[in-house]
Amino acid sequence: MAKIRKVSALALIGAVALTAAGCSSASSGGSSDSGEFTYWSMWKEGEAQQKVVAQAIADFEKETGIEVNVQWQGRDNLKKTVPTLNTNKVPDLVDGSFAKTAPVLAETGQAKPLTEAYAADVDGEKASELIPEAYLEDDVLTVEGEDAPWMLPYSLSSDAIWFNKAAHPELAENPPQSWDDFLATMDEMKAAGETPIAIDGDVAGYNAYWYTSAMVGLAGPGSLREMAADKTGKAWDDPEALEAAQMIEELVKGDYFIDGYNASKWPAQQQVWADDKAVMLFNGTWIPTETGPYAADGFEYSSFPFPTLGDTARADFVGFAVPARAKNAENAEKFAAFFLNKKYQDALGSEAKIIPIRADAAVSEEMSTVKEALDEADSYYMQNDGISFPGYTEKLLWPALSDLVLGKTDAKTFVETMKTGQVDYWEQNS
Amino acid sequence: MTDVALAPAAPLPAARRGRRGGGSTIDQARRRLFVPFVGPAFLLYSILFVVPSVYAIWISFNKWAGAGPMEFVGLGNYVRLFNDKLFLRSFGNTLLLLFVVGLAIFVIAFALTLVLRDMAGKKIARSVIFFPHLVNAMIFGVLAGFIFNPGGLVNTLLGAFGVTDPPAWLSQDNLFPLIMVMMTWITTGYFTTILMAGVDRIPPYYYEDCALAGANAWQRLRHVILPLTWDVFGTCAVLWTISSVKIFEIIWIFGGSTGAGMPPTQTWTTAVYTYVTAFSGESVPAYGAASASAVLSLALVSVLVLLLRRVMKREAIEF
Repeated sequence: MAKIRKVSALALIGAVALTAAGCSSASSGGSSDSGEFTYWSMWKEGEAQQKVVAQAIADFEKETGIEVNVQWQGRDNLKKTVPTLNTNKVPDLVDGSFAKTAPVLAETGQAKPLTEAYAADVDGEKASELIPEAYLEDDVLTVEGEDAPWMLPYSLSSDAIWFNKAAHPELAENPPQSWDDFLATMDEMKAAGETPIAIDGDVAGYNAYWYTSAMVGLAGPGSLREMAADKTGKAWDDPEALEAAQMIEELVKGDYFIDGYNASKWPAQQQVWADDKAVMLFNGTWIPTETGPYAADGFEYSSFPFPTLGDTARADFVGFAVPARAKNAENAEKFAAFFLNKKYQDALGSEAKIIPIRADAAVSEEMSTVKEALDEADSYYMQNDGISFPGYTEKLLWPALSDLVLGKTDAKTFVETMKTGQVDYWEQNS
Repeated sequence: MTDVALAPAAPLPAARRGRRGGGSTIDQARRRLFVPFVGPAFLLYSILFVVPSVYAIWISFNKWAGAGPMEFVGLGNYVRLFNDKLFLRSFGNTLLLLFVVGLAIFVIAFALTLVLRDMAGKKIARSVIFFPHLVNAMIFGVLAGFIFNPGGLVNTLLGAFGVTDPPAWLSQDNLFPLIMVMMTWITTGYFTTILMAGVDRIPPYYYEDCALAGANAWQRLRHVILPLTWDVFGTCAVLWTISSVKIFEIIWIFGGSTGAGMPPTQTWTTAVYTYVTAFSGESVPAYGAASASAVLSLALVSVLVLLLRRVMKREAIEF
């Protein structure tokens, strides 16, 4: 009797385990011509961008009959994708910014070259021709040895120095063209009793914008990344490294940053800025959308590029990627290309107010100045100048830059910190 | 965890008795059912906890980006961690939370227990001090900005009293002390409640006896309350040790990460270090180093819990 019970209990466990296994294999099954694919989106339900993507999915399903299993996961979609990369449950399509996608997909060899998406026909043209050539130069989106890029960008983000055009029309007419010009403009603001720059000093990534831009302006795109890659740390002896740091030191010493920026919590200072209590904010292209709800009445967003960048501009791609093990890659690539239709590109520009990748797509009034800067530029750089060495930015560069921006160290100490810190870093990480 | 630990305990006396005297049929049947009953729990526990832990230990000996090939590096990740100033600082912060905040919590909780024992309206008071523990740490993180921002509540109040140059509350160097204070405030109520349950259990005739013998408050504490709540105390110490090493979200949210970025390195604990190393989001993940850091935390907890149990071990007093 007892034996029977024992056996039946074990059998029950076995059955449960098998059913569970059966479930998982059933849902992950499916071949490339199954007429569906899974998409883990970086947008959350209700966001303006999500609405555009959702519209495109509805049209795509109607047109092709391919079913899209979309999950609106939000910005953590890639963190959730990483654990699936070695399994059969991997999504067929993901999207995200280059800075977040490249380290986990491209640099680990987990991204599929999007040959078909780039060759697809969109609005009577090849998809590859819709993406401005300048962005694809130097094969930044292509893994070495592959014949097609692994990412199909559908929009760009950039940064700029934002201000309220209604309150400061002179900045729109006559944006500062050089560093001295910039400092002089700010001195005038101070003399008039205004606070020149609002900055949320607790966000290390924002603090880093200043140095990255200064460095790229002095030594060109890729210079900071090259410096970071130097295992001896000697690259930091370059005069430009110090000069860029001295520019930031000038900002701190000149008291141009808003009071209390070293002891506040995001988004306190950008709220103060949107309330017209500071003139400028150096931040990303999401600022009009992000600060819109609490901006002062009659606030008109406008911007000018970081004054010493010259003909370089920051361009961070946001786009689709297909994991190497995706089962329905073909369908996923079809949709990625489909999303480049002018209809959705226009909607991204005018409704979602981001910058579409297509040069001929509409942009909102708020983004017009950034778009202009991007169109005029002849070289581009990415956030943190594209540095993606494990932990380098989070554990070394950002803390050191925060100290500099928060006035805890001077330019010389910063360069010293980076030099010695980098030697340690490469000793531990090579 | 406790379920599993308790499950095999019940049939054991029966088994022992059975072996000694052959046992009744009921005992024998019980013995046979031991495996079918404990088996599923043991199996689930192994699959969900033991296997992943062992796998994490294996990963910690490798260099791995979460996908693609693994490269065996032996103890390399551990050596690196001990050479990494940032990890040592994070480890130091974890120890600060564990010992300094722990000490503060227990001193305050014990004092509160003594005060609350014969206070009028102690039930209400108990609920009030327990309340912070119910609130999600997220709320405190957001609230911290509201209270301590340059234009926040505290500075506005101080301004009314004529303080024109208030401290930079949320500056990078002040954040961690602030977190420690916050942690003490949040957790004290929880342990007070547990300790009070222990104190309430002491029968009143011991206190009457004390009164008759003319014992003062200190002697009463020393000879009655402490010995009779010792086991509760020990359990609380173990609970705190385990939870303090895992403290993560309050630091993540307190330090500028309500929506953007990550907390300043001055406030990192090993848990935050582990997370950033594995999921920083903007650089190649280092799962090996992250696992090594997690394994070290686990080792720290295990050693401390063993030590604590040894130090706190007393003959159980029955009353």
